[in-house]
Amino acid sequence: MTTITADDVQQADRDSSQAVTRRNITIPLKARGEPALWALGGALSVGIVMIFGFLLLVFYNGFTTFIAKPVAVVTLKSGELVAGEPTRSELYKLAPDAVKALAPTDAAKIEARGGYEQRTLYRTGNYDLSGYDFKWVDDRNVARAEFPSDVLFVERLEWGAFVGRIKAAAIDGKTVSTPTAKDPALVQAHEAALQRLQAIRNIERNLIGRVNYDLERLRLKVRRAELNYGPTSPEAAAARANEVEASGPLRAQYELLAAEAQRIRQIDQKNTVTLADIAGKEKTLPLSGLVRFYAANDLTLADKIGIYLSRWWEFLSSDPREANTEGGVLPAIFGTVAMTLLMVLMVAPVGVITALYLREYAQQGRLVSVVRISVNNLAGVPSIVYGVFGLGFFAYGLGSSIDEVFFLERLPNPTYGTGGLIWAALTLALLTVPVVIVATEEALSAVPRSMREGSLACGASKWQTIRNIVLPRAMPGIMTGIILAMARGAGEVAPLMLVGVVKLAPTLPIDAYFPYIHLERSFMHLGFHIYDVGFQSRNSEAGKPMVFVTTCLLIGIITVLNLAAIIIRSRLKRRFAGSQF
Amino acid sequence: MKFKSLAVILAGSAALAVTASALEVDPALPSYKPVSGISGQVKSIGSDSLNNEMTLWAEGFKAIYPNVKIEIEGKGSSTAPPALIEGTAQFGPMSRPMKSKEIEAFEKKYGYKPTPYRVAVDALAVYVHKDNPIKCMSLQQVDAVFSKGRKGGAAKEITTWGDLGMTGEWASKPISLYGRNSASGTYGYFKEVALFDGDYKDTVKEQPGSSTVVQGVASDKFAIGYSGIGYKTADVRAVPLSAKDGSTCYDTSPESAYSGNYPIARFLYIYVNKNPNQPFDPLRGEFVKYSTSKEGQIETIKGGYYPITNDLRNEDLKVLGLDASK
Repeated sequence: MTTITADDVQQADRDSSQAVTRRNITIPLKARGEPALWALGGALSVGIVMIFGFLLLVFYNGFTTFIAKPVAVVTLKSGELVAGEPTRSELYKLAPDAVKALAPTDAAKIEARGGYEQRTLYRTGNYDLSGYDFKWVDDRNVARAEFPSDVLFVERLEWGAFVGRIKAAAIDGKTVSTPTAKDPALVQAHEAALQRLQAIRNIERNLIGRVNYDLERLRLKVRRAELNYGPTSPEAAAARANEVEASGPLRAQYELLAAEAQRIRQIDQKNTVTLADIAGKEKTLPLSGLVRFYAANDLTLADKIGIYLSRWWEFLSSDPREANTEGGVLPAIFGTVAMTLLMVLMVAPVGVITALYLREYAQQGRLVSVVRISVNNLAGVPSIVYGVFGLGFFAYGLGSSIDEVFFLERLPNPTYGTGGLIWAALTLALLTVPVVIVATEEALSAVPRSMREGSLACGASKWQTIRNIVLPRAMPGIMTGIILAMARGAGEVAPLMLVGVVKLAPTLPIDAYFPYIHLERSFMHLGFHIYDVGFQSRNSEAGKPMVFVTTCLLIGIITVLNLAAIIIRSRLKRRFAGSQF
Repeated sequence: MKFKSLAVILAGSAALAVTASALEVDPALPSYKPVSGISGQVKSIGSDSLNNEMTLWAEGFKAIYPNVKIEIEGKGSSTAPPALIEGTAQFGPMSRPMKSKEIEAFEKKYGYKPTPYRVAVDALAVYVHKDNPIKCMSLQQVDAVFSKGRKGGAAKEITTWGDLGMTGEWASKPISLYGRNSASGTYGYFKEVALFDGDYKDTVKEQPGSSTVVQGVASDKFAIGYSGIGYKTADVRAVPLSAKDGSTCYDTSPESAYSGNYPIARFLYIYVNKNPNQPFDPLRGEFVKYSTSKEGQIETIKGGYYPITNDLRNEDLKVLGLDASK
């Protein structure tokens, strides 16, 4: 844009009077809009490409992981058989000496390709039989590769995948030899075996768990009485007598349940399946030890979809197995959501109250600016520092004191004096509180002054004005702050590793035992699960796809949490949209 | 030196069935026999190398005793002693023996020493990329690659693959070093045995986990790194090592590890707080028995390590005052 001054006009008049049109007015580059527009547009597209590229990578890898892949049987020139899912292949350059050492025909072929050779990584499974579960095969060593329709891909409860054939199955004492994967007798027996496994788990976890919980409570009562009144006091004696009396029936019940579990287990042992790998090496295991099996090269589209969905369902609904590399992530989903919601419950009131005081009540002076600057700077402290603070102050400081007062009978095992859900939520609340304070302050200052003055003029007190006029109008802005805090908190991992996230948490923080919500328990978290599976698992090759799947899930959960908050915010906005002038 | 003692201890027990493909446990190891009335909560804090093992044992133990709760944290062996001293953990898995300072700190608080028991044998492996043709390295060479001071006696520092005698495209390529962070027991053990107590070079890229070292080496063609044998993947190769320049090289196979020929084989331990004047509480006692039983040692193989022998088990259980036969 160029501004036209009086001089220009005069000049133009003069020009026109001379009847010569000269339009070579040069606009300086700084004043022109187009280059800036291009730069902005470029920046936006770089941003979009980066975000979508990242999401595409994660979702592509995440959503393709559970697709059933074909199984190749490769016969090597040496006669050796390799069976497995082809995972990936690559070109690599052979060293010149290595090429020379090869047979002349192979060497010539590789020379012709400029010294490059193709190789493929097969997921062979069968770790218990062979000692490895992935194997690279060079193309020059391959005599032939086939996809026979009778080769099975078997997922097992233990030892990971198995690639091979079913040699025989013993179903209720009857032997079925070389059944196919869709043999109705086998499928039915497998379903029954899985139900038995479920029954055993139910008995062991829930029913025996209840008995053990009651026994533990009795024991703790005795210990508390001994600690409070001394070991020789009549109270302690009474508690001990009570324990003896009450534990009798409990133990009988335990024996009964254990016998039932044992009975089912014996049936389970009678239903076995003998697997044979591609070279014929055999392994017998109970039918309930198979999670899923299918003829990998003989699947209809419906079969594939079925397997895909059942794998997702297993992932979302079951506990992890085999040091977290297999099974599901239910405890981690639960831990992530519970921790994030708890954090919001803590951060929202604290942040909003702080901002209210700073903006509405505090006298705006040097002290308040110092506080404000400090709050803003808090957002720049590395998150791991919060973790250290949380561990030292909350867990070891506060938690240990709580233990000494309320849980003396459980010491030396700490109850609150170690990382736990509540300490993790508090630490993250501290981490995200600046976001909420800043957002709330902005929202409060955006409420028009006229509205406050109107309220005050009508005789409302300051608190009534804040309560009824300012806060409701600022609510959407406050919600934005909370949404940002939630997203930040749910994705944070580093401080959590110090204050309560563990690789394997035995129990969920919510269960059927009083007081139902156990805030002191350690928990699992999807973010940490990603780190653990990606960088700590024995077989990083097998762990990689799970990293992508878990990342997809974490992004999904954060999206759902944010969407929920956004819906609440838009409802609030609508509510006040009509009541404004 | 620890590897000597390992050699001596294991040389006698030839009963280990080692086949070329898969490992089997010592047939003398007894099966675990469940007892009744075990419940409660335990926590394990310590080695990252043993993290997966602990999880596997915990899963197996929980399958037998459903109401036992076991929590596992594995951020490095150096986190085990403070956790045992503070009482925040009942088990302290470590991939190296405790240092005298750590034992002293423990003794100061409790008046007795912490008790270790051995749960697995690990051939600490020196990994290179799968395309790396290097045949063999001596400990002196390993020292010259990783350390600043070369206390092992190598004449000069090794910085390129050519210095290790490799030719062609490798000769001029610098060696890219991967290692563990200092909280790790693997870091400490490698420093003590392979570096002869020398200091690591500043160029070693310190990784937070055993698996990360392997992944680093897998993605970097000119890399070398050290990590437990349990973390081996198809993308890396473990280099055979010899104890001295010019002597025979041994690979990381179980045979070489058990015979002590492989120079940096080691035991993996779990430390417990056991008052010598009091019996072990049943929960922890049963866990010790389970993890060293036949079933527990099968889990050891599953985690990628080599199992212990029955003789070792008996020896350790005796120290802990447990009856090995039951």
